[in-house]
Amino acid sequence: MREVVTVQLGGFANFIGSHFWNFQDELLGLASDPESDPVFKNPYLNTDVLYRTGETQQGILTYSPRLVSVDFQGSLGSMSSRGTMYSEGSSAPSDVLTWTGGVSTHVSEPHKKNLFLQSLYEEEQENCTTMSGTNSGKNDSRREIQDKDMVECLDNDVQFWTDYSKVHYHPQSLYELSGLWMDAQEFNNYGTGKDAFAEGFRGEEIRERLRFFVEECDHIQGFQFVVDDSGGFSALAAEFLENIADEYTNTPVLLYAASGPGSHMSVRSRKQTIFKELHDAVSFSRLAPFSKLIVPVGLPFLSTSKASTFLHFKDEKPYHCSAVYAAAFHSACIPFQMEPVGPSADLGDVSGAMDVSGLIQMLAGQARQNMVSILDVSMPAPALNGKQGEQSLLGSLQPLTPDVAKDVEDLQAVESMTVHGALGSGGHYALIPEVKDTVHAMYEQARTRPMFCHLSVARSPLPIPLPFPSIFGNLVGQRGELLGSPVSGSSSRGSLDVHSVPMAVRLRSSSAVLPYIENRLGNLRRFGIERGAPGAELLRNWGFGKDEVDDMGETLSKMVMTLDPHSQMSSDSD
Amino acid sequence: MSLRVLNPNAEVLNKSAALHMNINAAKGLQDQIQNPTAIMIARTAIAQDDISGDGTTSTVIFIGELMKQSERYIDEGMHPRVLVDGFEIAKRATLQFLEKFKTPVVMGNEPDKEILKMVARTTLRTKLYEALADQLTDIVVNGVLCIWKPEEALDLFMVEIMHMRQKFDVDTRLVEGLVLDHGSRHPDMKRRAENCHILTCNVSLEYDKRLYNEINAGFFYSNAEQREAMVAAERQQVDERVRKIIELKNKVCSGNDNNFVVINQKGIDPPSLDLLARAGIIALRRAKRRNMERLVLACGGEALNSVDDLTPDSLGWAGLVYEHIIGEEKYTFVENVKNPHSCTILIKGPNDHTIAQIKDAVRDGLRAVKNTLEDEAVVLGAGAFEVAARQYLVNEVKKTVQGRAQLGVEAFADALLVVPKTLAENSGLDTQDVIIALKSEHDRGNIVGLNQHSGDPIDPQMEGIFDNYSVKRQIINSGPVIASQLLSVDEVIRAGRNMRKPN
Repeated sequence: MREVVTVQLGGFANFIGSHFWNFQDELLGLASDPESDPVFKNPYLNTDVLYRTGETQQGILTYSPRLVSVDFQGSLGSMSSRGTMYSEGSSAPSDVLTWTGGVSTHVSEPHKKNLFLQSLYEEEQENCTTMSGTNSGKNDSRREIQDKDMVECLDNDVQFWTDYSKVHYHPQSLYELSGLWMDAQEFNNYGTGKDAFAEGFRGEEIRERLRFFVEECDHIQGFQFVVDDSGGFSALAAEFLENIADEYTNTPVLLYAASGPGSHMSVRSRKQTIFKELHDAVSFSRLAPFSKLIVPVGLPFLSTSKASTFLHFKDEKPYHCSAVYAAAFHSACIPFQMEPVGPSADLGDVSGAMDVSGLIQMLAGQARQNMVSILDVSMPAPALNGKQGEQSLLGSLQPLTPDVAKDVEDLQAVESMTVHGALGSGGHYALIPEVKDTVHAMYEQARTRPMFCHLSVARSPLPIPLPFPSIFGNLVGQRGELLGSPVSGSSSRGSLDVHSVPMAVRLRSSSAVLPYIENRLGNLRRFGIERGAPGAELLRNWGFGKDEVDDMGETLSKMVMTLDPHSQMSSDSD
Repeated sequence: MSLRVLNPNAEVLNKSAALHMNINAAKGLQDQIQNPTAIMIARTAIAQDDISGDGTTSTVIFIGELMKQSERYIDEGMHPRVLVDGFEIAKRATLQFLEKFKTPVVMGNEPDKEILKMVARTTLRTKLYEALADQLTDIVVNGVLCIWKPEEALDLFMVEIMHMRQKFDVDTRLVEGLVLDHGSRHPDMKRRAENCHILTCNVSLEYDKRLYNEINAGFFYSNAEQREAMVAAERQQVDERVRKIIELKNKVCSGNDNNFVVINQKGIDPPSLDLLARAGIIALRRAKRRNMERLVLACGGEALNSVDDLTPDSLGWAGLVYEHIIGEEKYTFVENVKNPHSCTILIKGPNDHTIAQIKDAVRDGLRAVKNTLEDEAVVLGAGAFEVAARQYLVNEVKKTVQGRAQLGVEAFADALLVVPKTLAENSGLDTQDVIIALKSEHDRGNIVGLNQHSGDPIDPQMEGIFDNYSVKRQIINSGPVIASQLLSVDEVIRAGRNMRKPN
């Protein structure tokens, strides 16, 4: 078995992660539910890759994500950082052993559980007491109303990422940065994050957490990082990654650098613009060297971008946009979970297994060592034999990576595409060969073709768990099919109306990402390196010497060079 | 003023207002740390902690008291500059006095355990209740002595502090050896073994496809058999390494009932574990890097980076290796080692808070013992030093100083008394009575400290109350520096007002 350890650093990363694990949890639930669609009972998608089995002190078996999540203190809302699975009854200490004097207790009001969490809790209690499911008829009608309320409640006031999480986490998984509180304004720049890792015992403790999960792995295939690109967490991640590169030298790191919606909003003064641009440049150039493959995601205006043609939501809610990214990460992660089989034998339900290092080798290890990839997504993916006038599968894939050039002809492009749950003729889930043939045919017809494309296919679609936000437009049907005419009623449809969606994602290593890197290089030069640059002082404040800044520039211009050897930008560096 | 131009609403305090702000901030420090002056003082306390590991509270209250004493004189119209000069003189004099006053301790090859215990007890008792403090005292002293080698710098990292969460047990003990927070990952390996050879290594025993072929295997092979053959060949390299280890085990363990333990920093995959288990070897994977260094110190032998240089000489030795399992948490104890130059303090507690408190106290205790070993001196505690230093400053130093700087010396001398005052206050005694009693004893030439229970003067030497020399020196050094800086302030700019809103 080839395990993947997931690491989530930062607020927005945890928002994404929470959705991600909800999908996994939903899949687990569907696989064990006798009434669910047989397409979800897929023995070839191994959830052990992402999950670990454990045992509580009482000897109860547990199954929890193999995850290290780092966030501010107080960011867990109503959830306890030790999770619920391993709770030891009453945790309140009967007496304080280090003190013999009088003790007075002050208790702050715990965060109130919202409707969704309350119902989860009640359900658990019910499961414990009555295992029999009689008088279900009556309950159902009540449940229905409750579900609606819950979805509404979540749509309106999600504050913490734990508010919509239905997963049980291991006590080692959730790490709160002691002393760094949520809403702390100061943690929004690179400088403050730089020391946060080394301060006190934090770095040591985070490493310890990671080691706990790695030690268990028989054969780790790689780390999957989701990092909050905006704010101090990116600096923290860079320090952490440097550490990992040192300690686990041969284990590849796949890094998603996600920027939240807040980072692009609000009109800014010139000073703030410089601040932001420099931050992005520094953050990117520091993260890239320590990972094997970096995938920047986070569009400034996701809701109006082409990637969300069939989606309907507001940009400013992290709860909403993170769902889109999470869905894409989930799909990109599917090939890692497939049971590896020989290349010739195709199983009925999956095809195209690949491990993390395989993916990285393919995308970043070719002749042109480009380690920056673009993530494209099609959500929901159109049916394979679409009617006339509808978009084809390839055409519907739209980037989630910002600053990507369109229609670039790149002969050396390499792609890895994952399609799952695609609908074929007659609204059935398409069989593997059908999908493969269609995709190949589409590539034949396409104007620009990549040098190489790896295709992974699974039959099971993306299940939509109850706490998923109502972000689907009114052209999306119950199984994610695209309808000809809009459904009457509300303009956005959520988990009650849409139960699953077909997905297609594509990671592509192409020179289309060039503008992204060039932007950052340009900004770094303009604001940080040139003589009299307005941001030079700022960089010094963040603790970077001139040499370090020059090194960063060098790193970026090398990346530009690999993609475009004739670049203007790189030739003037000396 | 340039700042006014930038931010017309910035509040610029003039000199005297700024000074008063500093003083008030320093006095009110215990309430809240949020204003810049307080932060400056807090930083000094952190520096104190970094350097000597103790005396943070003393630093803070000492600076606060210096400011408070200064206020009296400044209100009477004295210039802060003069006070600062006085502080400087007093500081130097106090440091000289400290040199005379300290009690030298000869360490040599066999340090005086009693003195070390007394110092450790003094620090620990200020942080924990008596019974627990006394128990920890022995642990801390033995722990440091375990890693102490004369003529070499002490590295306290060689004393590992581990904790275990257990529901009822409150127990802290010193393990002369190591405790690792993981166990073997094979069901057939022994849970307990005596007389063990320990192999410490950093060798990958994991079949790693990535290293052997560059691109996903699927693209290369025309048929499954060919692929299988390739995989088998690659696997052999790993098996070869495992075989070498087993060979060594057979060499050292044949004919006796010794055991063999492999502790590896890198991973060991299930097939390798299987081979090792069949050969009767206990294997642990992914050991912490720090533990690798400590294993060698504790068990002897050397850490190997390759199996090519395996010799019996490179093996360490431990009398007992056993596993302890709580739920899914496993601990491996490596005990009865040959030459323990590294040890582990194992803290058991029912909840995180208790563990954290004990941990902090243990760290401070370790630092106190380390300081004593390095200083080769201790200072009488319970406020004795402060009172004596005050007498010295007032009776001798003050006379040698010309002019108004005398007042600075006096302020400094009075500020020193804050230590016994705080001690008295914390035990609910009347501070005036205590100070007078102490002063008069000192006038009679007896060096006494404060008995917290009765409020009477006691002889700290008899009671075994000793403080670290370096801690005291650091306090005397850094306190006046910060106080002087705060006193010679020119102006303070209070930011944080809304800049956009016009008044």
